[in-house]
Amino acid sequence: MAEAMRQINPDVVAAFPITPSTQVIEDFATFVADGKVKTELITVESEHSAMSACIGASAAGGRVMTATSANGLALMWEMLYIAASMRQPILMTVVNRALSAPINIHCDHGDSMGARDAGWIQIYAENNQEAYDNMVMAPVIAEHRDVRLPVMVCLDGFIISHSIETMELEEDQAVRDFIGPYRGLHSLLDTDRPVTWGALDLHDYYIEHKRGQQAAIESAKSVIESVSDRFYRTFGRKYELFESYRIEDAERVMVAINSVAGEIKEVVDALRDAGEKVGLLKIRLFRPFPYAQIAAALRGAKVVTVLDRSTSMGAYGPLFGEIRTALYDAEPRPLVYNRTFGLGGRELFPDDIQELFAESRRYLQNGKVEKIFDFLNVRGD
Amino acid sequence: MSDKYKLKKWQDLPPGGVITEGGNAADYETGTWRTWRPVWQKENCVHCLTCWVFCPEGAFLLQDGRTAGGKDRKEIKEIDYFHCKGCGLCVRECPVNKQGKEPALQFIREET
Repeated sequence: MAEAMRQINPDVVAAFPITPSTQVIEDFATFVADGKVKTELITVESEHSAMSACIGASAAGGRVMTATSANGLALMWEMLYIAASMRQPILMTVVNRALSAPINIHCDHGDSMGARDAGWIQIYAENNQEAYDNMVMAPVIAEHRDVRLPVMVCLDGFIISHSIETMELEEDQAVRDFIGPYRGLHSLLDTDRPVTWGALDLHDYYIEHKRGQQAAIESAKSVIESVSDRFYRTFGRKYELFESYRIEDAERVMVAINSVAGEIKEVVDALRDAGEKVGLLKIRLFRPFPYAQIAAALRGAKVVTVLDRSTSMGAYGPLFGEIRTALYDAEPRPLVYNRTFGLGGRELFPDDIQELFAESRRYLQNGKVEKIFDFLNVRGD
Repeated sequence: MSDKYKLKKWQDLPPGGVITEGGNAADYETGTWRTWRPVWQKENCVHCLTCWVFCPEGAFLLQDGRTAGGKDRKEIKEIDYFHCKGCGLCVRECPVNKQGKEPALQFIREET
């Protein structure tokens, strides 16, 4: 991620260290110290300040980036909404980590899932290559004139962030050509055309501003499709709003986010070899959520298992809610159920995924779901 | 009401709630907040402009005039009820009112 940031060469980075995202800014700080980027790096006293500085720098007309995880993201909360509502195309790496308490530094998606209503575009990545590619695409998406919204590029803490993987980095110039120069909108430093930011907005206009924001994030879907298409034509790696892995004729499909998808693919391949019609739908874009496209991709599926790596206490998992909503109008409507796994970094092994597929086979045969919601790999159940 | 005060559609707003023109607080009708209305009694007014100084909304509009001795001065012209919030500061501070005789500014309940 630090390499992508170096290639993007933003005007301002404001950040505060938190495991496991620390390494991103640590490496980037080295680039700043070595003069490899022209970025002004602001080492602030908290994540709330980090996001505040990012908003100010972005409103001043700069291309701005930061990175955080878990409690750091939580401390940004107030400013996340302000960044999105002020339509500042800030770019942020979120290295997914469990929220306290109890304190835990390992992966789950509770941090970014909690921020799903903040108005940021959220793009998820299975591995380091995808995370890098998403970050290269992120400024083009965020700064598009129909969008003008901040983007979170999310990847799994430690499992991905601290793994050594083989990956392709593109040439600096090719990346810069792909992204293009930054064009600010209503810059605070443009004294020829002064504007007011952050004015009061009451009953008579607040909802109109929110309506416009909704239209902007909705339009991000088609922008992401066209940017991903241009990325494919430029660099040769293909991305869609989500990844369909062997789901064309699949009867039983698993839906998951981030690194666990790699394991599921292995199991899907093994089961396909044994003649089972199984597949995986891997989420890439969570906000905005591509309901219609996912419903179309899952046409023909009879059982859908949704894996959530976070909890919405007192409710089903956040991904499950979206998938079931997407499938409500499907005819015929598949069986859909929800499993929570991996909180605080708890492993999910290929054997566990095999078992999950065995369960979905049973549901398919019986024509009904026995348990709609459950935790996986937890002692006591 | 002119088009200037017509509420805009969401499509016509600049992104992020940014305000691109200066001084447009004047376009905002604060007169709707008023429950009491100051009413100027021209015949009792001495044009000392104390009301104009105290008014937080700049709702006292002035015009050029002359004193009885023929000197140029500014005079009260009228009250701008589009902006007057009915706070009553003018009524309280008016030195004519303080004499306790015929008031230069009455304060009457708005009809609902």
